[in-house]
Amino acid sequence: MSSAPPLLFDRRLHRRRLDRAAASIGTADFLRVRAAADIVERLEGIMRSFPLAVDLGARDGAIARALASSAVRERIGLLVEADLSPAMLATRGGPRVAADEEHLPFAPRSLDLVVSALALHWTNDLPGALSQIRLSLKPDGLFIGAILGGGTLAELRWALTQAEVEISGGAGPRISPFAGNFDAASLLQRAGFALPVSDLDTVTVRYAHPLRLLQDLRAMGETNVLAERARRPISRAVLARTCELYLERYGDAEGRAPATFEIITLTGWAPDASQPQPLKPGSAKTRLADALKTVEFRAGDKP
Amino acid sequence: MTEKPAAPPANSVDPRLLEVLVCPVTHGPLDYDRKAQELVSRKARLAYPIRDGVPIMLPEEARKL
Repeated sequence: MSSAPPLLFDRRLHRRRLDRAAASIGTADFLRVRAAADIVERLEGIMRSFPLAVDLGARDGAIARALASSAVRERIGLLVEADLSPAMLATRGGPRVAADEEHLPFAPRSLDLVVSALALHWTNDLPGALSQIRLSLKPDGLFIGAILGGGTLAELRWALTQAEVEISGGAGPRISPFAGNFDAASLLQRAGFALPVSDLDTVTVRYAHPLRLLQDLRAMGETNVLAERARRPISRAVLARTCELYLERYGDAEGRAPATFEIITLTGWAPDASQPQPLKPGSAKTRLADALKTVEFRAGDKP
Repeated sequence: MTEKPAAPPANSVDPRLLEVLVCPVTHGPLDYDRKAQELVSRKARLAYPIRDGVPIMLPEEARKL
């Protein structure tokens, strides 16, 4: 028996889904556009120049487009677009490289900036992917990456499971597990990033019908690639019941279907001596009690 | 149309990118075979193709040596 962790995602299938989505991704790119705009806004607040930057999982270039209308672009020398899907890259111009986020092809300490808009949630080993990113960064290099969080597609997850239980007597995994916001910052820390920050943006999209949501997911290349996914396609009866349950439980007054997406944005720096460092325990020069203008009691003493 | 003499051909890989690429399997160095348009990892015995100026750094797409 192998002790390797089980693989959650079938990466080859994920690549095929992305290849297939290359032509359609522009029709359903609102999430990535939003994540990209947010990443660029964060970069605007960081007065640094980045001679060599990589966009991991560039897809149809949402980050490059967001950068094009920002003053940040002038502070970036070369922006390399990397993607698992060569078909996706074929829709782009400029410096590009086909690369697997799980096996990065960049030399250690070679990059000044790595950005990523909604691609890393498909990695089997997110901590490992983050470690590789950190290793590829120069000291004091910056990573800003957006991934989908645990609350994403909660409505669809519930309705699909419920419908499958009702009709098939059991449910298979149809929707990815996503990282929770709480896990995210500790993931960065485990990957060796300094000054890790993670925050959460919850987006609710209102669809005319649950089927339109499924259409969008397909157009984005975001459909299920779980290795242990249910191999049989969803039956028409299950699909119909899913839509019914979805609208019954979540439908709004106008009969539309709200869908939740959680965008977690991770920010971390490759460690460098110039960054603020925590002091050694016991090296404080001022008593906490003095700072709080209170009286200090020894541990165990009752006030 | 006139072009700047320094402009590289459209399908060439930017040298700044070439400089930082390593083999995704071994993280070892790559040799650039300009004629074959391949990046060769001797250690992994793989040759990664460059298609239309895009290095394809995926082992499944590489030619085994």
